[in-house]
Amino acid sequence: MYKAFQDVISNVSATVLKHEASLGRPVIGVMPAYFPMELIDAAGGYPVQLWGNNLPIHHADAHLQGYCCSVARSMMELELRGSAKMVKAYAFTTLCDTLVNLREIYNRTFTKPDVVLSMPMTRTMEARRTYLKDGLKSVASGLESITGQKITDESLADAAACHGRTRELQRELYQIRRDKPGLIKNRDFYSVIKAGFFLPRAVYNEMLSELIQKLAPLEAPEGKRVSVVVSGLVFDPIDVFDIFDELGMDVVDDDFANGWRTVSKDTLQTSNLVEGVARYLYEAAPCCCLYNADNDRHDYLVEKVRSAKADGVLFWYINFCEPDAFDAPLLKARMKEEGIPNSSIDIDLTTTNLDAVKTRINAFAEILEG
Amino acid sequence: MTKFRTVSKMKEIMTNYYVEAKTTKEKPIAWITSGAPVEFLYAMDVIPIYPENHAAMCASAHQAMDVIDAAEAAGYSQDICSYARTDFGSAMTKGGPVGGLPEPDFLLCSTNICKTVIKWYETIARVKKVPLFVVDTPFLHEGLTQGLIDYSIQQFKDLERFLADFTKRPFDKDRYQNVLEMANESTDLWMSILRLGKTIPTPINAMDAFIHMAPIVTLRGTQECVDYYKELLVEVEERVEQGEASIPNEKYRVLWDNLPIWFRLSRLGKFFTEQQCAITAATYTNSWGGMVKGKWESDDIYEMMAASYLYNYINLGFKERIEYLAKLIEENSLTGFIMHSNRSCKPYSVGMYRLQEEVSALTGKPGIVIEADQNDSRAYSDAQVETRLEAFFESMDPVVTA
Repeated sequence: MYKAFQDVISNVSATVLKHEASLGRPVIGVMPAYFPMELIDAAGGYPVQLWGNNLPIHHADAHLQGYCCSVARSMMELELRGSAKMVKAYAFTTLCDTLVNLREIYNRTFTKPDVVLSMPMTRTMEARRTYLKDGLKSVASGLESITGQKITDESLADAAACHGRTRELQRELYQIRRDKPGLIKNRDFYSVIKAGFFLPRAVYNEMLSELIQKLAPLEAPEGKRVSVVVSGLVFDPIDVFDIFDELGMDVVDDDFANGWRTVSKDTLQTSNLVEGVARYLYEAAPCCCLYNADNDRHDYLVEKVRSAKADGVLFWYINFCEPDAFDAPLLKARMKEEGIPNSSIDIDLTTTNLDAVKTRINAFAEILEG
Repeated sequence: MTKFRTVSKMKEIMTNYYVEAKTTKEKPIAWITSGAPVEFLYAMDVIPIYPENHAAMCASAHQAMDVIDAAEAAGYSQDICSYARTDFGSAMTKGGPVGGLPEPDFLLCSTNICKTVIKWYETIARVKKVPLFVVDTPFLHEGLTQGLIDYSIQQFKDLERFLADFTKRPFDKDRYQNVLEMANESTDLWMSILRLGKTIPTPINAMDAFIHMAPIVTLRGTQECVDYYKELLVEVEERVEQGEASIPNEKYRVLWDNLPIWFRLSRLGKFFTEQQCAITAATYTNSWGGMVKGKWESDDIYEMMAASYLYNYINLGFKERIEYLAKLIEENSLTGFIMHSNRSCKPYSVGMYRLQEEVSALTGKPGIVIEADQNDSRAYSDAQVETRLEAFFESMDPVVTA
């Protein structure tokens, strides 16, 4: 049932090349996080999401210090070793200090064009609109010059419907996982989500619909297993999910930037794009990288754990991620106050030996089992 | 370090400032980032307190590591900015040279120095249960634009409303105008002082300026600040007239990029003196010098203020950074440049290897990157840094005197 998705993530280059050829659209590499990919599709591009990879770092050391996260370092490695040739241009957002500067490094080091969506971090609503209006105009014209095609009302509405459908289907999948814990193996679930980073929307939507139909009549396995919510920026290395599977634990929901924080976003409203993008960025699940005091991460995570009936929360920390590291102590303290057990793993995307992580997760599972 | 008469005056005004902040019963206290528009606070009689300045003080006094340990014990990762860890730890233990900071009534942070300050201040807001006002001054990937200016001004006006609500009186526009004039006068004086650094031999080097920058950061917009820099300017001018060098037998003149290594200021000061190398210019000290001059023209004071808070060195795209570094090297007759790859400051440091390469190619001057940290001494090795610097000194051609 999951083989097609697994094939995509174990053959990313071949997959992207195949679809690039059939679509005849330039591949736009989408950097973390929250770039509204509807705009890329509307301009006739083929958005492919880059959330880092597990390449050993050789070349990137000459450009990025060891204190930059493995997301940034592995993406730079990919480009430097010539493995990102199919990517014709990049789409950045101003997610964190490292990514802001990474765009500048790319700009000086490589010749590929790019667009940057600068995300306003203000509670002054009028200012937020002013800024997004300006920013979206420049992103749109940048994309149009990369693809050579104009974004029209129609192409934007179509792209919004298609991407909106993806997230709707993914939300259905999340719901199935909540309702029937254990039905989808942890690794399979994230293989399905990850495949979506690389596939054209129409292809992915069809695969998702088919999967959901197949899953609908199936029941969850009998018996109570340990269930957790997992919180972090990026759900890689994906091999970590094998550990949960081996230990008989169910991830029943998540709070990943490339998981639920993105999946939770409603269909982009295109009739008023500025308002639409503002809502897209700030009204969905909160993120440590998006300042929005009106959307509290603490309450949100407590509510998520309760409603998912999870036994605890595992924080999945990608080393050197400052936004995540700043939030962790108080978020953990709040979990404790609420009587929600929690633990954490520290990891790099490039980590290959997962023994320490396994020991940690195992210990947490034992605590949760009581 | 060069001996300046005015140092005692600086100590006096900085002490007065902390004493007033710690004893005031009437004035509200705001914790504020070094790049935030403090003029609005002074206009409303709010005392600004700078956790960054305080963290630097803790490190210079070799008291940072104790409080950093406390923050880490409370769960704050070594991956986060060491200024933030210093201040979190100091707030927990009341450690540091001033026994902790006076409690804030609200917080003001601006993103022109990093996005990290949002996380830092969000954390303080939660712990202290006080409001946070963020003035977002986005990174200038493509230089200044009218859109960015308008965005900032709208937030300034909102800040005025916030302050009026908080203090329960209308925003004082006349006082604001007056504060702004004093702030501009201070930054002009500060830049005049720094520009005298270009004299050969240099009368004031960056190791001195790192010490003397405390008032321009914390008291910008007050008469004390203006008076202080007037005096310092006179003193530096006298040194120029008398040909007094800050480093005897000046042989090399270099630029320092990034924050100082606060906990090694005195050892590095001696080291540079022994090596006959004057740090003649620093991007960090220049950051409080109205870099925006000539980059934006307008009669509107809000526009100029927006432009100057946006046009901050580490808020600039690399093209502009490279041009600026090359200009400083040229104008100050430098023989090379040193870049501090600062584990705690990603906006300043990420991309530094590329910048070093390009600036060297453009100016023909050697540059070196050293790995360190502004406050965390565990990320620093005397032997490694000094050996690298010695090799770097050997690669430079000595300064040509007229």
